[in-house]
Amino acid sequence: MSGAQMLDLARVCERVAANASRLRKVTIVADWLRGLDDEDLARAALFLTGSAFPRHDPRRLSVGHATLRDAAIAVTGWDLETVRLCLREVGDTAEGISLLLVGHAACLPFSLAEAEEDFERLERARKTAEKRAILEERFRTAHPLATRYFLKVITGELRIGLQEKQVEEAIAAATGAPKQAVRNANNRAGDIARVALAARRGTLDAIEATLFHPMDFMLAKPLDSLDELTEPDAWILEDKFDGIRAQAHVEQGRVRIFSRGLEDVTEPFPELVEALERLPGSAVIDGEILGWQYERALPFVFFQQRLARKKVSEALVREVPVAFVAYDLLYRDGELLLDRPLEARRRALEALFAGREPPLLLAEQRTARDLDEIDAIFHEARGRANEGLVLKRRGSPYEPGRRSGLWRKLKRPFGTLDVVVTAAEQGHGRRATVLSDYTFAVREGDRFVNVGKAYSGLTDEEIRELSRIFRRIQIQRFGRVLVVEPRVVLEVAFDGVQKSARHKSGYALRFPRILRWRKDKTAEEIDTLDRVRELYEHSLRVLEEAAAPQG
Amino acid sequence: MEVRYGEDGIHLPAIDLWLDPDRDCDTAWFSHAHADHARGSHRQVLGTPETLAIHRLRHPEERCARREVPHGATVEHRGARLTAVPASHILGAAQLLVEHGGERLIYTGDIKLRPPLCGTETEIVPCDRLIVESTFGLPIFHLLGRDEARRRIVAFARGCLDEGEIPVFLGYALGRGQEIAHVLCAAGIPTMVHGSIGRLVPFYEAAGYAFPGLEPWDRERTAGRALVVVPGFRNVLAASGKGYRFAYVSGWAALANARARTGAEELIPWSDHADFDELVEIVERSGAAHVDVVHGYAEAFARILRQRGHDAFAPREAAARTVETEELP
Repeated sequence: MSGAQMLDLARVCERVAANASRLRKVTIVADWLRGLDDEDLARAALFLTGSAFPRHDPRRLSVGHATLRDAAIAVTGWDLETVRLCLREVGDTAEGISLLLVGHAACLPFSLAEAEEDFERLERARKTAEKRAILEERFRTAHPLATRYFLKVITGELRIGLQEKQVEEAIAAATGAPKQAVRNANNRAGDIARVALAARRGTLDAIEATLFHPMDFMLAKPLDSLDELTEPDAWILEDKFDGIRAQAHVEQGRVRIFSRGLEDVTEPFPELVEALERLPGSAVIDGEILGWQYERALPFVFFQQRLARKKVSEALVREVPVAFVAYDLLYRDGELLLDRPLEARRRALEALFAGREPPLLLAEQRTARDLDEIDAIFHEARGRANEGLVLKRRGSPYEPGRRSGLWRKLKRPFGTLDVVVTAAEQGHGRRATVLSDYTFAVREGDRFVNVGKAYSGLTDEEIRELSRIFRRIQIQRFGRVLVVEPRVVLEVAFDGVQKSARHKSGYALRFPRILRWRKDKTAEEIDTLDRVRELYEHSLRVLEEAAAPQG
Repeated sequence: MEVRYGEDGIHLPAIDLWLDPDRDCDTAWFSHAHADHARGSHRQVLGTPETLAIHRLRHPEERCARREVPHGATVEHRGARLTAVPASHILGAAQLLVEHGGERLIYTGDIKLRPPLCGTETEIVPCDRLIVESTFGLPIFHLLGRDEARRRIVAFARGCLDEGEIPVFLGYALGRGQEIAHVLCAAGIPTMVHGSIGRLVPFYEAAGYAFPGLEPWDRERTAGRALVVVPGFRNVLAASGKGYRFAYVSGWAALANARARTGAEELIPWSDHADFDELVEIVERSGAAHVDVVHGYAEAFARILRQRGHDAFAPREAAARTVETEELP
């Protein structure tokens, strides 16, 4: 086989990973793309976005983690326990398997064209055993570094710090097409391979928006704390709903709904289809599907029953009603609206939704002048049993597939507490010689009672420094665990409080995460068990209100 | 020969000798001068002259008797013969061969098999029982050879300097730091070292490694130079906002997740520890009937050795030893 090799792609990707500058990443990719023939250019563009098929293509590889692992076991002869440990240490299945394959592979040529064929065969194979056989053959024959990127495309993530936006820029640089034209065409077509070819041939303008091909969703960047937010009045605030993100495509009575994973999820929501069918003209609407009853959102647990079925019974439709809360309009009557400012898209959406009734809803928008007002609106949103807020930058465009910070989400933590570490435990592997897992307590009178345990979210340097301190203030040792004097104060975030028999306090924090080491605080100044009780009761009230119909 | 593994070190009770102990004792063997091996207050310490000299510099307050055992030399200790066998790790590192009651035991300390950038090459001597480390004892760790490591270090430095940026190498205070500085200096690249690394350079010079043009750290004059600093110094530099680019030189750089952890762009998987294949080779060439695995992935590596037909085990406490190490990123 001739043509571009997966090993070339892999080497390009390794260099992209080793260069933090976006400009350099783009240059490295562009230099490679320029020399490829048309077919390989299309394949390379696609693979560089971590996809085996174009975005709108309904085909899915359906190759699970276990299938990949089992194929690696078959080729390398390592036992399951060893392979599991290795993959855990690497933290990336594709990279882990490729490292295990070193010394077990023949390192024969493996072209992009052959990779494309493999993807097609993997998709067609119905039985896991067939898929495994295809993988094993490739593991045995290809260079492990080539296999690494073959697998990264299968797992859907390259993890080299290359976003689709930079692939678009590289295509522009390699073909001489304007950046914006490449970007717009990709938004319209959702097929970077086709866009790359059109860019080279100068036919980008001929690419038209196609309805019923899902577009990537714009994503919100987490906002850990309001203090991080500058210009509090530059944002439009919407509740963050606890449902599933959905994109509705509508044209003359035809309706399809796509999920965040770009899967077609139309079937389980007949009442939404019925309502959307009545919208005039054509449109692509971004929004959220959620359980909806008595004019408010249902807790996700109820809504889940609807998601579980492909075909839903009429009884279930009555029992767990849903709503589509619309918050953005991406396309209207032949025109793509992505580059229009948020406010203009909203006006068009309001016009489209004028006079509509549940299950079609419009997300309410609010504005605030300062952080205190945002905080108050956040707590109102929590009071409505929603997750928190999404903050959308005034005047911002809609950026498919990006988490650029034009949208921010403020949800959990449910709360934060200052706690003191009472025990520290050794980590594993790389962290085997430091103390990286901490049990922590709150104050109850003059003693300390444990409320949770968390893996350190601190930096390596902080962990090393803390390890030294913990060894100094060690009281007692049980194997891997050091019981220490309660001196080190941490600020932890968590998603809730629950009753627990494990801790003497009677409570445990849910999903605690260490936010920072509070060197400025002493154990006397930490939060109390009373505060934990208060938070527990507060969370109960929220849940009860959410579950109960209102008057 | 009985070997006792406790949370505070390895003890040979028959001759009352502690190996790299984490407790105060009568007689201790220091395999090398890293702070997680050469520590504590003892009546008497045995080690190579290089190891003891570095220990003296770092712990002038320790009043112990320092008994030098040069590479290849043998001393008597409570009826046993103790021989220092060269280990490729850091300058002065040695394995210990203990001959007692007709049995030969090797304690590798920290070791690799490939030739080092500075220091001696490992010698493999046959033994009955082997105590081996397993810092990188999983089959995912494949590290660079010396020439390739040297090439990558120099290439990164030149690439950055050509673009007007400042290459910064993250290495440990003892061993890696001096090796990188030596490679850069030998290639004619103007190099500056961070204080804790520079302090130990004279030991390497005394052993015959040249550092032409090496300068001590000076914040005002970093332009046009390669820097070698300890990993903890990265944040200080990064915060200063100049055009620094970081390379992480470590066995842990074999995994891409090192990038996120260390903030380095370039990963150069060079270590003073053995990678997986070398560890297996060390075990096999030793001919040892019994293998004890300590440090790192001890339990997993012992299991792998058992699958290959060795009588291997990981003493629980040895595997769980809590130590402060300079080998960690």
